Amino acid sequence: MRLLLNGNEAAAHAARLARVEVLASYPITPAAPVMEKITQFIAEGTMRCNFVRVESDHSAMAAALGATMAGARSFLITNSQGLAYMSEVLYHTSGLRQPVVMAVVNRALAAPHSRFPEHGDVVAQETSGWIQIFCENNQEVLDSIIQAFRLGEDEQVRLPVMVNYEGYIQSHTRETVDMPEQEKIDAFLPLVRRPVLDVDNPLAVNTVTGPELYMDYKYHQDAALQRAGTLLGEISEAYGAVTGRNWGGAVTGYRLEDAEVVLVTMGSLVSTARIAVDALRAAGEKAGLLKIRLFRPFPAEAVREMLKPARAVVALDKNIVYGAGGALGRELRAALYGFTNVPVYSYILGLGGRDVGVEDLTAIYRQVNEGLAAGKFPALYQWYGL
Amino acid sequence: MEVYKTLAEIPQDELFTGGHGGCRGCGAALAVRQAMKALGPRTIINIPASCMATIGGSGLTTAWMVPFYHSLFECAPAVASGIRAALDIQGIKDVNVVSWAGDAGTADIGFQALTGAAERQENIIHVCYDNETYMNTGGQAGSVTPYQAVTPDTPTGKPTPRKDMLAIMAAHRPAYLATASVAYPLDLIQKFQKAKAIQGFRYIHILAPCFRGWGIREDQTVQLARMAVECGLWQLYEEVDGRRRVTVIPERRIPVREYLKLQGRFKNIDEATVAALQAEADRRFREVQS
Ligand code: SF4
Repeated sequence: MRLLLNGNEAAAHAARLARVEVLASYPITPAAPVMEKITQFIAEGTMRCNFVRVESDHSAMAAALGATMAGARSFLITNSQGLAYMSEVLYHTSGLRQPVVMAVVNRALAAPHSRFPEHGDVVAQETSGWIQIFCENNQEVLDSIIQAFRLGEDEQVRLPVMVNYEGYIQSHTRETVDMPEQEKIDAFLPLVRRPVLDVDNPLAVNTVTGPELYMDYKYHQDAALQRAGTLLGEISEAYGAVTGRNWGGAVTGYRLEDAEVVLVTMGSLVSTARIAVDALRAAGEKAGLLKIRLFRPFPAEAVREMLKPARAVVALDKNIVYGAGGALGRELRAALYGFTNVPVYSYILGLGGRDVGVEDLTAIYRQVNEGLAAGKFPALYQWYGL
Repeated sequence: MEVYKTLAEIPQDELFTGGHGGCRGCGAALAVRQAMKALGPRTIINIPASCMATIGGSGLTTAWMVPFYHSLFECAPAVASGIRAALDIQGIKDVNVVSWAGDAGTADIGFQALTGAAERQENIIHVCYDNETYMNTGGQAGSVTPYQAVTPDTPTGKPTPRKDMLAIMAAHRPAYLATASVAYPLDLIQKFQKAKAIQGFRYIHILAPCFRGWGIREDQTVQLARMAVECGLWQLYEEVDGRRRVTVIPERRIPVREYLKLQGRFKNIDEATVAALQAEADRRFREVQS
């Protein structure tokens, strides 16, 4: 069934299809409509789910964590200030290896106050131990949320997952979205309960841990996160077999075969960059695109492999790590360092909702080409569109 | 509803066992041990940062015989809300879900999640074990620390009076509200039995002295907990649907001065303050007993 849905509606339908049992959420712009939609599903009886109407995002994360620990499939939505506010609970959730899934409707962090999109909120949680998936359109939002449950709940992983899409650009913009049949999703995503808090099998969770054990827990947590990177590909394939849509694994390429200058980005900018690559190709340029679907764990090896033929890499970052540059630019440099001398051009753009169009990306492409021709080292990072 | 009539009827089984890491004479550990007699093995407990969160489990060992989660400081009632939602959707009806916090996790940093859960009338029990100070970090003053108590960060005495958490929680109209004291175990256990039998949001506030914070001897915990009741600064009652019933009328009344003078934290207290606290105790005694 094909419907015209905005990103928030797609997320709500995904939660319904995934048979989410507990939703804990606190309203925040522009993510609140997901909560409204799910509570509407509950009210009309199309979804069997308990909604915990918490008084804050901190409590939302705490309630979702508690629910997952007690054996329910749990979901929540947030962004920006709310995500920052729940930060310490994010670390509990990943440290306790609880597969909560959260839609993050990316939005800038104040100050100055902004209601508009960028990835700064989620990039700030890069060390939280959560799996982070980025979506380029509303169909991918729906599909990724369903996949996120299977990924996070996998016995080899057992980690929470953030599924990112951008405020307004995706959350409030309608696209055609294909709705998979419930039976197909049920088969793809069976409910397996693994309660940690269970009166029939009492455990003490999160006891004080000394230096002799703490680091080993962290090793296992990191190893599990790494496994998620490989597993996403398999899960996407399985999902593709069921629905006909395979978004690829951690990273996918577009027109990369003979590409010399490769744009690398994530989120809604991927769609724009795809059109820009087509336009550049039509003009005889050897442009390509690398879509980062998984930001955590960062798929360094796959990126390295796919960027092998490139003469230049262009990171397009809708975030700024103050004093260090764009998160993607930094990751790419780290992934490529020691393997190749290909220059990484790092651009900060589109912050706080500033428009980025196809012509901006083609302009950046030309700037990079000029830089290459001049043989200059690229700057650590540069701002575009000020 | 069945409640234990004598201490002899109370189950021998320990659900919070020996070998925990609390200090000798810890009022908080006593409170948990007593409460677990009533709550029983079908209980899930989560405790935010506090002495109680750490003394019951360390590394790979634990004193808890029920599922226990050491949660985060601000959000034990929210965690409990989530646990309840998860049990409900699975049709598990006979499990008590408890958030058990100290006075900071209840009245201060944890207050937001508490008022949220209370307003939603979550089907959980929130317990405050109150030692009137932040002992886990060394005993700093909090909002329920009494007026003029000396603590590491109020070296000349706390300048403001104790916040009335019971009035605040009563204003949420919980299904059940009770005060308790580790010096009156039968009363405490009966209150947990009653709370367990009621659906909805339940709040139990236990006075649980801490020898270190109070400047008393380790073997004076129970004595001081009893004297708090006898002087009227702490009263034992319960409220069901807002209707109050006093559960313990102390056999003797003592002046507040006697209670204060045993405690190192009040060593600097002046006569005017003693008189003010006496007036406060008298007022509260009249108010509660009426
Ligand atoms: S410091 Fe006080 S509250 Fe903490 S364990 Fe010791 S006696 Fe108990």
